[in-house]
Formats: sequence, C-alpha cells, structure tokens
Amino acid sequence: MCASMLELKGIHAGYGEFRVLHDVNMHVDKGEIVALIGPNGAGKTTTLRTALGMTTLYEGKVFFKGEDITKVPTHKRVEKGIAMVPEGRGIFTPLTVYENLLAGAYTKRAEEKLQDSLEFVFTLFPRLKERKNQIAGTLSGGEAQMLAIARALMSRPELLLLDEPSLGLAPKIVLEVFDVIKRLREEGVTILIVEQHVKNSLETADRAYVMETGRIVLEGEARSLLKDERLKKAYLVI
Amino acid sequence: MIEPIVVVSNIIDGLLMGLLYSLVALGLSLIFGLMDIINFAHGDFVMIGAYLAWILAMNFMVDPSVTALITVPLFFVIGLAVYKAVIEPILGAEPLIQIAVTVGLGFVLQNIALAIFHAEPRSYPAPALNFGINVGPITLTAAKLVAAAVSLASLLLIHYMLTRTKFGLAIRATSANRMVAPLMGINVGKVYAVVFGLGIALTALGAALYMSWGQVNPYLGASFSLLSWVIVAMGGLGGVVGVLASGLIVGVLEALGSTFITPSARMAVVYLAFFLLLWFRPRGLFARR
Ligand SMILES: Nc1ncnc2c1ncn2[C@@H]1O[C@H](COP(=O)(O)OP(=O)(O)OP(=O)(O)O)[C@@H](O)[C@H]1O
Ligand SMILES: [Mg+2]
Repeated sequence: MCASMLELKGIHAGYGEFRVLHDVNMHVDKGEIVALIGPNGAGKTTTLRTALGMTTLYEGKVFFKGEDITKVPTHKRVEKGIAMVPEGRGIFTPLTVYENLLAGAYTKRAEEKLQDSLEFVFTLFPRLKERKNQIAGTLSGGEAQMLAIARALMSRPELLLLDEPSLGLAPKIVLEVFDVIKRLREEGVTILIVEQHVKNSLETADRAYVMETGRIVLEGEARSLLKDERLKKAYLVI
Repeated sequence: MIEPIVVVSNIIDGLLMGLLYSLVALGLSLIFGLMDIINFAHGDFVMIGAYLAWILAMNFMVDPSVTALITVPLFFVIGLAVYKAVIEPILGAEPLIQIAVTVGLGFVLQNIALAIFHAEPRSYPAPALNFGINVGPITLTAAKLVAAAVSLASLLLIHYMLTRTKFGLAIRATSANRMVAPLMGINVGKVYAVVFGLGIALTALGAALYMSWGQVNPYLGASFSLLSWVIVAMGGLGGVVGVLASGLIVGVLEALGSTFITPSARMAVVYLAFFLLLWFRPRGLFARR
C-alpha cells in the first residue's frame, strides 16, 4: 500500500456561505515535509482547517492514510493521528504549561504514552520543563510557540499541520523552529507547514504548493520552486 | 439601637445562605464560562426543582432535602435534554436571540408552575430539620446548617473535579479556547452537554436543600436568577473560589439589608453593593489586571 498520509481531493470549502477554497487537490506522503505558501487571505489556514474538519465542506473528500475521513469529526481525526499547531498558537492561557501538555495528550491513545511524550517534548524544549508550573499566558512569544508545538506532539501525531509557526518570532527563534521541524521528520512525523518565511520553508521542505485566492496555482519540488522566477518575484524579494 | 448579637447572628445566617447561593450560581458560572450563554432561566430551574422536592416530600413524607437523591440525577438528565433541544441550536447565535430564547424558557417554566400550582406559596409542613440549635446566645436553623454544609462540600467537590480530573481539564481547556479544544481530541459538544446538565443538577440540589425551610411560588426563580447573576459578575474569572467568595458576600449583604433596613430592601442592598463594586473593579473582584 502506498497511500498518501493526507490527501485532499477536489475540495471546495469555506465558512458557512463564504466560499474560500475552489477545487483544491493536494497530497502529503509519508515522511515528507510539504510547504503550503501563498499571500494573505489565499486560503492556507482554511486548507489546514479543512484537513481537520473545521470548515464547511461543499464538495470533495479528505483521506488520511487511505481512509476516507470526510465525515469524521475533528476530535476523532486527532485520535486517528492528525495534529495541528493553529495559527496564533491558541495555547490555553489560564492553564499552566504542564496542563497545556496534559490537554494535548487527551486522547486515549496519547494518554497511554504520556510519560514517554513528556520526556520527548522536554528534551526537545528544555525551556518548557523549567516553566512547567508557570501559567501559559505569561510565556514569551517564542516559548508560547514551543508550547503550541509541544502540545500538538503530545497527541502522538503521524501527521502534523503547522500554521505559520514562526509568525512574530525573532530570527534566531525562527531558525530554532525550523530545526525542530527537521528533527521531527527524523522522528518519523509527516509535516504540512504553512509559512510566511518562504525561503526557510522551501529550504526545509521536500515539496511545496503555492496557493492564490483559494486555488493551487503552482506545485513541485521545493528546491526547484526556490528558483522559480514567478515565485521569486512574488515572495522572495521581500 | 443595633445589638451586636443581632449583627453577628445575621452575618452567620448570611454566610450560610451565601453558601447555598454560591452552589446555585456555580451552575450559571460554569455554563457562562464555557458556552458564553447567559441562562436567564437558571433561577426558574431552582423554582421547578423546589416544586419537585415539595411534591416528593409530601408524597413520601420525608424532609425535602432528602429528595435531592432523586431530583439531582433527574435534573441532570433534564439538563442534557434542554441542552440538546434549546441551547445547542443557539450556540454562537446573536446575543439577542440567546437572550430571547432563555428568557422565553424561563417564562415557560413559570407558566407551567402557575398552571399546576397557582400562585400561592407551598412549603413542607413537617420539616425534620427546621429546628433551632443554640450556639451560645445565637440560634441557628439546623436546615440551613445542613444546606450550607452540603453546598460547601459540593463546591469543593466540583473544584476538585475541575482542577484534578481529566474531564475538568477538558472543561477548563474548552472554556479557555473553544476553537482549539477539538484539536486536543476533546469532544466539545459532549463537554457542553455534560456541563449544562451539571449546572441544572446543581439548581435541583440547591432547591431541595432550600425547601427544608423555605417556600416556593412560581416567581421564586427571579430572586435566585438575580442573586446568581450578581454573584457570577462579582466573581469574575475567579472560578469556584470566586463564586464562593462573592456568594458569601452577597449572602451577608442580603441578611443585613433585610434585618436593618427592611426585608423588601434586601435585593436593593445587594444591588447597591454590586454597582459600587463595578464602579471600583469593573471586571469583578478576582479579575487579574
Ligand atoms: N472563520 C472565518 N469565517 C469567515 N471567513 C473566514 C474565516 N477565516 C478566514 N476567513 C476568510 O477566508 C479567506 C481565507 O482565509 P485564510 O485564513 O484561509 O487565509 P490564509 O491564506 O491563511 O491567510 P493568512 O496568510 O493571512 O493567514 C479570507 O478571505 C478570510 O477573510
Ligand atoms: Mg492563515
């Protein structure tokens, strides 16, 4: 069986009456890092949210490891092994760092591996261990992003969706985030990442999709896209 | 001439009542904190619960407080049903629609009570616990002591549930960010339904305890609703502890106002204090800056 980890087929999706995605087709294969890039409002976040069943789907199908999960509710998709680091991090600010991580391991499957997962995320982010009992709302931006990633990892995902994980972070921390992403691939996690840092993400990713106004307009090897004149003009000049 | 002993006994009475009010208000607080819905029918569930306790007490000739063993689980189930039928459809709707629906629900409950029981108040004629206990010069009602003790135990139990159990974590995570909670694998719909059921079950518990000495008429809900709103607004983000603290304050203010001004001014005193508090701490007693 060589089914993709994630496959979106002929997706038309949006929010209520507001249609955002038009016939989006994409796939993420096991072990890959795939980048999804595009201008503000293109529909990148909507694409990730659709993979987790958090939008209105008008047409199309979502497959996870070959299984049709189009009708599966969000919390059960997480149980199946998809996790997301949402745009803006979405950490539970009144809870402690530790409680955020516990919440990440909410599913039965994840709860069984709780100790193991804690050890893993604490070696990945030693800062979080130091701040274990701190209220999450008092973390710095970089620490909060680490927590958001760690919390997603606590669910033991096979597929991790990252929505602009480096947004608003200092350049040094941005590099740290990309290091973590590479490290996760070594751990066998498949990754779909939405990024503003187009250059960084194309250098890290295997393949990439470019989205504009709800449509995929370009796709291919990340390295060849790096040299694409059209893309260079649109993004890399900044 | 104000006798100190009268003040002290009023304060104690107010503290006992405050615990009961906290119990009832906690349901409103949990529901509001989680779903952003103000249940304007909250007090009316206390009223229906009180009638139910009265009916069961009359039929089985037991003290109304004992009927909680039946009414609490029953109200939990009723709460689940009301959630499915009435609350779920208005989640995320315009506030005006939410207000109209829950105010309407309250009126329906009142009208049901009016139709069945008419307006005259009912109380249990032979309450087992409605006797005085003398503590020095102060006389306390046994029923109120029991109500206060059961309320406090329930508040502590719920505090424990919220802070130490997995389901409590799900409630707090969902209250903090309902968009992100499903990404943890939390079934938000289930959390909502159970918490609504729990909030309604607490009204039944408060009502059964209250009927050990109190009386019920179809309009009893209004005063429980008003007190609950004030307590929740004062308690702000303080969780169970916030609700408990503001419940005690409200109970004491009500008791003092009722004795030293006039019984009909009790709510006015509570509200005056509430307005003053909002003036100085607009986000409640326990809001962080
Ligand atoms: N919850 C929502 N309800 C209604 N419309 C939404 C919602 N979220 C996003 N939109 C709209 O959908 C369109 C696509 O938004 P989306 O967030 O998917 O873009 P994006 O590519 O992630 O942009 P950005 O780079 O700014 O994050 C935008 O027009 C946006 O206004
Ligand atoms: Mg976005």
